[in-house]
Amino acid sequence: MKALELKGITKQFPRVLANDHINLSIEKGEIFSIVGENGAGKSTLMKIVYGLYTPTSGEIYVFGKKVNMKSPHDAIKLKIGMVHQEFMLIPRFTVTENIVLGDEPRKGIVFDFKRAVKEIREISEKFGLKVDPLEKVANLPVGIQQRVEILKILRRGAEILIFDEPTAVLTPEETEDLFKTLRALKKDGKTILFISHKLKEVMEISDRIAVLRRGKLQGVVKKEETNERELARMMVGREVVLEIPRVKVEKGPVVLSVRDLAAKDHRGILKLKGVSFDVHAGEIVAIAGVEGNGQMELVNSLIGFTRPVKGKIVLNGEEMKLITPYNVRRKGMAYIPEDRKRRGLVLPFKIRENIIMGQHTLYPFSKGGILNDKVINEFATKQVEEFDIRPRDIYINAGNLSGGNQQKVILAREMAMKHNFLLASQPTRGLDIGAMEFVYKHLIEEKKKGIAILLISLELSEVLGLADRILVMYEGEIVGETVPEETNEEELGMMMLGIKRKERLVQ
Amino acid sequence: MNLLNLSIAQMFDFAAPILFAALGGVVSENAGVVNIALEGIMRFAAFFGVWGAFIGKNPWMGLLWGLLIGAAVGALHGYISVTWAGDQIVSGVAINVVAMGIITYLLEFVFKTTGYSPPVPYFGAAHYRVHISFISKIPILGAFSNLTLLVWFSLIAVGLIHFMLYHTVLGLRIRAVGENPHAAETLGVNVMKIKWFATILGSVLAAFGGISLSLGTLSSFTNAMPMGKGFIGLAAMIFGKWTPIGALLASLVFASAQIVQLLLQGMASGIAKQIPLGFYLALPYLLTIGALIGVVGRAVPPASDGIPYKKEG
Ligand SMILES: Nc1ncnc2c1ncn2[C@@H]1O[C@H](COP(=O)(O)OP(=O)(O)O)[C@@H](O)[C@H]1O
Ligand SMILES: [Mg+2]
Repeated sequence: MKALELKGITKQFPRVLANDHINLSIEKGEIFSIVGENGAGKSTLMKIVYGLYTPTSGEIYVFGKKVNMKSPHDAIKLKIGMVHQEFMLIPRFTVTENIVLGDEPRKGIVFDFKRAVKEIREISEKFGLKVDPLEKVANLPVGIQQRVEILKILRRGAEILIFDEPTAVLTPEETEDLFKTLRALKKDGKTILFISHKLKEVMEISDRIAVLRRGKLQGVVKKEETNERELARMMVGREVVLEIPRVKVEKGPVVLSVRDLAAKDHRGILKLKGVSFDVHAGEIVAIAGVEGNGQMELVNSLIGFTRPVKGKIVLNGEEMKLITPYNVRRKGMAYIPEDRKRRGLVLPFKIRENIIMGQHTLYPFSKGGILNDKVINEFATKQVEEFDIRPRDIYINAGNLSGGNQQKVILAREMAMKHNFLLASQPTRGLDIGAMEFVYKHLIEEKKKGIAILLISLELSEVLGLADRILVMYEGEIVGETVPEETNEEELGMMMLGIKRKERLVQ
Repeated sequence: MNLLNLSIAQMFDFAAPILFAALGGVVSENAGVVNIALEGIMRFAAFFGVWGAFIGKNPWMGLLWGLLIGAAVGALHGYISVTWAGDQIVSGVAINVVAMGIITYLLEFVFKTTGYSPPVPYFGAAHYRVHISFISKIPILGAFSNLTLLVWFSLIAVGLIHFMLYHTVLGLRIRAVGENPHAAETLGVNVMKIKWFATILGSVLAAFGGISLSLGTLSSFTNAMPMGKGFIGLAAMIFGKWTPIGALLASLVFASAQIVQLLLQGMASGIAKQIPLGFYLALPYLLTIGALIGVVGRAVPPASDGIPYKKEG
């Protein structure tokens, strides 16, 4: 039986054709994946199925019946549930309140909290999704928050479950847990729509896979009859080089030197406990480590968001005292932030504004406090072309771009800034393969130009592929130093978990 | 009645308008709608209350008129800031400015005066008060022996709103909408309807506050009304951490500052006499700033407070 059929679904946004005549047919009880690069139109399609967007044209059939959804309320009634890419939770509410909201057990007008808690205990038991009904959502780790989201839709009796990039925010262990849940749900006869751009995961969990590219359906394939390489090619539209080319560059003088640097996090806990290292011109030094082991505090100290409690930072031979983002940038530091939406861009500003930010006070972009629109537009147009930012429209708001294109705007800005040191903090976080490849290419370009690069990364493949030297951080300390030729993912993994230490002998 | 009981009773009289405004703010902002028009709404209601009582020759008619005008002005704020998703502060400021002008005009037009309206039947009159004579001699408790109906309403409203916000389905939804309207929407909650309801109810509560000013202990409208009581109410809402019971306590603290000031003016000596009057007037605001910067326990507003809500796609 067909659980869901889409016929000719099209969604036209003011500037983008997000979905272009999509036809899909999904069987009851299968795990059906939809892959595609960021901005391919996956979320848009799912929001249409969930009644959040009205399609410009096209028809939807749910369990054989033609439907016309106007809001999520209609979708819920049709037994469709969605776990959104950005969680739809209320941190201040309890797990119970979050789950029952909108369909609360009641006695007259009174909210029957006790019965609600009992209900949550029951369904949590039934589906093997353990949660504490009385805990506040704000206190839960992301994996459990996602569980709350899943319980929310299961309680509404969802038969078709949509997961929009559910693994993007999860750790590998949490992802395994989620996959167990998905398999159990499938066994239960539920139909699952799984959205992702991580091919490894898709190959692990799906029965069938649909590939979207720029709003168009590229094809639907059975898992057994395909492989990562083919999927990548369908997604990107050409062969993708997943391997990072090794480039050797003659190492230059020290550009950044950090000595015994220690810093606290925003709650005043000492997270960085005295680290020392150098970065030379033409060298990529990677900091590997599990998130939350002091990387954030290191970045914040370097860029001037945190005042270190002790230690020394020397940039281009000059000791930096009282660091502010303004003066480190003047001294030649460029920065690709880990969180593009918060730190990298002003989302409601246009590309042309974002792309000069930081240099907007400087000639030729402005003179005497007056912006020179002509020069800015010329510059922005040139960069948009050179960095292949899509759409090629410098007047579009940064917030309306896909993640990959947002990252390209940041690259286009930072690369154009006068610099000889690049702080790249998780530069490929949340990006799809095509965009990752693009970022790698530019990092290598930078290295060739003799720029000193400090790469902070959680991805071991990235660290091993790009770095000339690897420092492993664990609990605020550097517990190991090595080079890619002398190590492997396993060893790095052990160091990252604090199981193994390694000092590299000075050559 | 002894001086203590009198002072406490007077404190409740002072507190009632502040408390009503604060409760109005609590309801509205828990649904994410900032309503600084509460000040203007109180002014409308204070005047229309007197006008209604004047024509109907009894305060009940005044109450009815006041509440209706409060709901009407609230609807204007709702239309601009909820339906139209406009800026809530701009809408509020506009309504306050309009209230200033229109009521000054109406005062002249209806009562042919620029200062005070003539006295009208009011809730402070002896036969409208709630007499509980057997407690009148008891210290402290005696303060409750002769309060006006409006003061009792304000206290009852605290309980009702607390119950509504924290124990009913409607209240859960109001708070959900104020925290994360998108989440509420995806669960099928009608966000617009909830925001409208909270805006109107909040405005009606503020209207009660306006009426407490002109038909509570006084029996006429003065053109200076409501003398910033709406804003002090908002301060009490913040100081009370956006909860009804907190709003009650904050209103009492603010009102007692006024009482202390009155008492001191009469009998203070030494240093106390030298504290300028302005200090007592500024006290509510100083305390509120303290609450905001975390000196007296941090006050955190609902997460989506003040953010206009638009449905996607
Ligand atoms: N609400 C919106 N208004 C305008 N454009 C949008 C909106 N939502 C998404 N888009 C655009 O539609 C395209 C598809 O986006 P999306 O469906 O989020 O992609 P994906 O989920 O595959 O990353 C992108 O180019 C994006 O910028
Ligand atoms: Mg998406």
